[in-house]
Amino acid sequence: MRHVAIIGTGQTDYASNRSDASQPELVREAAKAAIADAGLRPQQIDAVLISNMELFEGRALPELWLGEAAFAAGKPCLKVATGGTSGTSACISGFHQVASGLFDVVLVVGLEKHSEGQTQTGMALTDPFWDRAVAAGALGNFALSISQYMAERGVTERQAAMVAVKARRNAARNPHAHLKMPALTVDEVLASRPLAHPIRLLDMCPQSDGACAIVIAAEKPARRLCPRPAWVKASATRHEQPYIGDIDRRLVTMRTLRDAARGVYERAGIRDPLHDFDVAEIYEPVSYAELAWYEALGFCREGEAGRLIEDGVTAMDGELPVNPSGGVLSSNPVGASGVIRVAEAALQIHGRGGERQVEGVRTALVTGYGVYAWADVVVLGAQP
Amino acid sequence: MSELKAPNGDRRPIFIVGVGEVGPVAEDPRSIPEMVLEAVGMALADAAMGHGEIDAVVTASVDLFDGLTASNIAVTEVVGAVMKSETRIAADGLAAAIHAACELRSEAYQTVLVAAHGKASMSDYRSLTRWAMDPIHLQPLDVDFLICAGLQASAMAGADGGAQRRWAQLAARRRASAVPGALAAAISAEAVLASPVLAAPLHEGMCAPLGDGAAAVVLSVRPPAAGRRSVRLVGMGHDLEAHAMGDRDLTRWEGLGRALRRARADAGIASEEAIIDLAEPSCLYPHEEELFRQACAIGDETAISPGGGLFAGTAPVVAGLARLIAAVRGLRGNARYHQALAHGTWGPAGQGQAVALLEAAD
Repeated sequence: MRHVAIIGTGQTDYASNRSDASQPELVREAAKAAIADAGLRPQQIDAVLISNMELFEGRALPELWLGEAAFAAGKPCLKVATGGTSGTSACISGFHQVASGLFDVVLVVGLEKHSEGQTQTGMALTDPFWDRAVAAGALGNFALSISQYMAERGVTERQAAMVAVKARRNAARNPHAHLKMPALTVDEVLASRPLAHPIRLLDMCPQSDGACAIVIAAEKPARRLCPRPAWVKASATRHEQPYIGDIDRRLVTMRTLRDAARGVYERAGIRDPLHDFDVAEIYEPVSYAELAWYEALGFCREGEAGRLIEDGVTAMDGELPVNPSGGVLSSNPVGASGVIRVAEAALQIHGRGGERQVEGVRTALVTGYGVYAWADVVVLGAQP
Repeated sequence: MSELKAPNGDRRPIFIVGVGEVGPVAEDPRSIPEMVLEAVGMALADAAMGHGEIDAVVTASVDLFDGLTASNIAVTEVVGAVMKSETRIAADGLAAAIHAACELRSEAYQTVLVAAHGKASMSDYRSLTRWAMDPIHLQPLDVDFLICAGLQASAMAGADGGAQRRWAQLAARRRASAVPGALAAAISAEAVLASPVLAAPLHEGMCAPLGDGAAAVVLSVRPPAAGRRSVRLVGMGHDLEAHAMGDRDLTRWEGLGRALRRARADAGIASEEAIIDLAEPSCLYPHEEELFRQACAIGDETAISPGGGLFAGTAPVVAGLARLIAAVRGLRGNARYHQALAHGTWGPAGQGQAVALLEAAD
């Protein structure tokens, strides 16, 4: 397989309502920044991939309208849309396209502008016969799965609140983040409005407007253009049963994430993830999910995720900083959220993380999460 | 970073080892997964494979057309993607097949299943296409894909007084070569011209009827079992044009020209005049076939849509993948054909374009 690397990233600022910019303007802002970051000009991009969930804005085939903003007019351009994993899956598609030799430089742009649509209506458009009446939207689904996870693994509301605090405090060091809350406390999270037991307002990700882009390059241009390319070591995608009732103990087992991680770790030579990774950008749509992912990703043994957050192991100064960017809990333009995870992990390897830079990052983990337990896993490294 | 580069001599060959198509029919009473299940079953049977031999899946569907968010959820089980890699390309099915070929060439997988579905009967498809138009400048004008096709046909017809009659004859000829029972019945050129005008200058009889369909293709780096002519995908290219009609020369499909140049470069075909024995274009209207012939410099030595192409009827999203299937069947069934071209398009007036070049390996 040809070596492939991420050589540039670009992000807009994320906010609940970017009324100052249209959808194409957000796309252009991120695309332009990523191309400039890669030291390229737009005409040097061979192909473009767009990641977006069209019904969140009430659109069809939005790349037809947004393509030009991503410098795609006259170029190959496709849209990848797989729910929450759209962004990571679009990046993985870009890795495959460059690795195939068809293209040398691919731009991936993720966009969501939730303020121009009704996201929860979009999320309610599941199977009309079996799922729509009982499993619509993110909250109810997560509430059920989380209750089960808490009961089996002994995770507490306080431990989940600590995840929420870590995310928003980290976000305070990320100039792009939506929810920057440097002084947030666990008690404030626990006192926030209940949404669906046990989820409280501050346990949940926001809906953000924004776009994020990365430039993926083959080995030759990557070495020429980037002093410290973020090489793609391995990636994997796993999808799940389409009906919520068919997934046994979703957050507890999370077999998609486990299986994807197992394969990717093997190919990337990761034996002890907690020690071997220097940073992780994982897709945590809700505080409790981050704890469940710790177990599925092998950061700790089953039932020990609560201890990991209590001991500060995943804090900025811990053994494995998780989501220095503030994660999905701090910024969540859905179509872009997966691209943000990849961009933030690449940024850490590039050494351009600014105030959120972790010292000496050589190996980084990325995950995507979407729909009913669909999972993407990517490992990036400072060496191919 | 060059747009066109020499093909990599040692890259993996890609064989199209299984194909399956359901429909198109005006209205299939079955659900999306039921239709896709049948198409996938046919493709796997054709490839003499089971789901266990499929490493990954690429699907094509469009959320708004299905009325489902992440509408690939509807087909995850029937394409066998539970605990597998699946990528959903929201465009014409041929673009999904091209992405699957990229996955194979990247050496990530050995065998990939591609599936597409579209059910125009579930909705007012024409109205839904308005939601794919620029919402600031075009959607408020109620511009849809059919109106864009009419604008393109108008631009081409110009002062060409014979255009409408020529198009009526072409549509009648294509419909006459469709298999019995096709979605579009045979019709005379006179009847085409007498049919209602849908988007001037396009009459109803010129427009390919849209219905329900599903298609599936198995691509593999391993050749198919002996005993059948094997078909290779040797070149691929795609393109996205500017969106607004006013930003394009509507009398040409320049995007298709670029997609074909990329596909030829990918296949290592230097000559612009390379002979294509069989072309299966995705043309919903006769003026589009003229655009296709011009963009691809296709002359009379090439057989175009021997089975009537999309004029026999088609389904949104499925169309291009169904053309790939028609091209594969053409190569398998006719020893005179060696090179074939499958074409897919999506968006208003051919904004998105995809080309696959196929070769029969004898």
